[in-house]
Amino acid sequence: MSTARADRIGLLVLPGLAYLGLIYALPLFLLLLKSFRDATGALSVAEFVQIFGDPLQRSIIARTLRVAFLVTLLALVIAWPTAIVMRSARGGWLSLFLVAIILPMSLGVVVKAFAWSILFRSNGFINQSLMTMNLIDAPIRLLFTETALVIGAANVFLPFMVLPIYAVLQQQDPNLPDAAATLGAGPYQRFFKVIVPLAMPGVVAGCAFVFSMAVSMYVIPSLIIGERQQTVAMQIARSFLFLRNEQLGSSLSTILLLIAVSVVLGSSWLAARLGARQ
Amino acid sequence: MLDRHAPDPGAAPMAAPDAQYLDVVAIRKAFKGVTVMDGLDFRMARGELVSLLGPSGCGKTTLLRIIAGLMQADDGSVILAGRNIASLPPHKRNISVVFQNYALFPHLSVAENVAFGLRARGMSKADAVKPVREALALVRMQDFAERSITALSGGQQQRIAVARALVVRPHLLLLDEPFSALDRKLRETMQVELKSLLRDRGITGIFVTHDQDEAMGVSDRIAVMNAGRIEQFADPSTLYATPATPFVMDFVGLSTRLSGRVAAQEGALVAVDTDLGRLRAPGTLAPGTPVLIGVRPELIRLDGGADMNRVDLVLEDVAILGSKTMLQGRPGAEDRLLCELAGIRNCKARGDAVSFHWAVEDTLLYDLSAGATP
Repeated sequence: MSTARADRIGLLVLPGLAYLGLIYALPLFLLLLKSFRDATGALSVAEFVQIFGDPLQRSIIARTLRVAFLVTLLALVIAWPTAIVMRSARGGWLSLFLVAIILPMSLGVVVKAFAWSILFRSNGFINQSLMTMNLIDAPIRLLFTETALVIGAANVFLPFMVLPIYAVLQQQDPNLPDAAATLGAGPYQRFFKVIVPLAMPGVVAGCAFVFSMAVSMYVIPSLIIGERQQTVAMQIARSFLFLRNEQLGSSLSTILLLIAVSVVLGSSWLAARLGARQ
Repeated sequence: MLDRHAPDPGAAPMAAPDAQYLDVVAIRKAFKGVTVMDGLDFRMARGELVSLLGPSGCGKTTLLRIIAGLMQADDGSVILAGRNIASLPPHKRNISVVFQNYALFPHLSVAENVAFGLRARGMSKADAVKPVREALALVRMQDFAERSITALSGGQQQRIAVARALVVRPHLLLLDEPFSALDRKLRETMQVELKSLLRDRGITGIFVTHDQDEAMGVSDRIAVMNAGRIEQFADPSTLYATPATPFVMDFVGLSTRLSGRVAAQEGALVAVDTDLGRLRAPGTLAPGTPVLIGVRPELIRLDGGADMNRVDLVLEDVAILGSKTMLQGRPGAEDRLLCELAGIRNCKARGDAVSFHWAVEDTLLYDLSAGATP
């Protein structure tokens, strides 16, 4: 291919670039700009100082990070065995797994959240069952708790963890565990010394997906725990919609963006490092 | 080395006689109800290099995987150094495998790959340094220890795979088509190199291959496999000179082959009528028996005495192959007429009428009647 031709093909990127620039980068830039200005319009970091000085805001940020971390961890723990089983599944079984994982994504979060409330509420299925089995005397609070939020969010984001891990497992040379076995490695060593290290790029990608989605989630916490225990995204919405405090909203957005950017950059750095060895 | 499966060069075989170092008995294996192996026996001596030779699907890789423990036989036993290992998992057998694609660990360096088996047996990193260095020196790869696997060529990867397999001092080394990923020139060099390496170290090894030249080149004995059975297990010269079955004759080397029917028994010879006339071969068979006549192409000459077998034909093709010239005639459906002459002889051309002559005692005879033992 001639260079001139390649250049002209390069022009194809323009529509996408223009779209992203106009719809994504520009408004985001304006928002960021606002977060670094005070009420008079002068450049300042006063808003950030105030946010990190406020115990309530600090606890919201801490909860958001904690929930995102736990969601990622739970999704990872559930995704591993699923991906392992999927790798050895063939034909109809594999299709069934893929459908089971992808189909729920098309079901809106709202529907799922209300379905969970049937499960989680004080006279819901879980409490009823536990009481029938005499494991508890009185209904325990499940709805409107952080635990319910973590369980619910992990459920919604699970496909984004399973699919990248499945993808790397599927690409692994099936001879590698066999080679490890003939060299004297038992099942645990094969898993932790061969299969897991080779799957790390997929694990990193899955964790990055799930963490960045969990840290910025708004709809799921709104539906599961409501206003009781806020997350950063809920706080941002509140700032703009109810408090009419655009300063607070854009500064919180900047914090959230910085977290997301560092997760993405950190994970791509990690993935590149792991990938370079392979 | 605390692990009880740790390699110990002094202690390996127990009372087992060396001739039965590996004894594979009555192996049966079916895949999804289809029996692919039914009562296969295979035995080899300590320090022997053996090839399992056969076309794809003949069961050679299945047998290799059963010996390595990567696949379970439905029935039968695998006795190695006097111990039945049939029910042991692969990591407890101390049998190393060099895989067709080498199966090196891409996330580990060259040295880490070689150290893998020692580390899996519980050896410390520090203790593994010396044997790893020795193993790399053995395959002349000591300068590559810290390299990444992906930075190596195919030949270098093969050497690392061999070093990784040998460093644990296995009781048995299995090699699954180890040369098939290499180009022709390199393949021949590596065959010679690997054979002398295994010989020097007294390694007992099994090569799995579909390439007869490779099998001839690297092994003391060759087991020719077909449809889950071993058709013949012999040293290369016996295999070539007196193939036990038409399959072995066709799979190992080239041959002239003509089908026919026994006309008469003439003392120790059988007279056979073929489309190209009457031929004689050593043997005893009843008149009327359908048979196959075979002869190796280099035993055929273009002139000869009256006591020799002779067929007249018109040359279909003359192929000049450098060190030899192949003359080919046009035979009947299943038949083939091949004559190999040493050197380049341009005296014959396509379309020439010639006669193939060969000694009666060089003639191979196979009973094709139903129920005849193959």
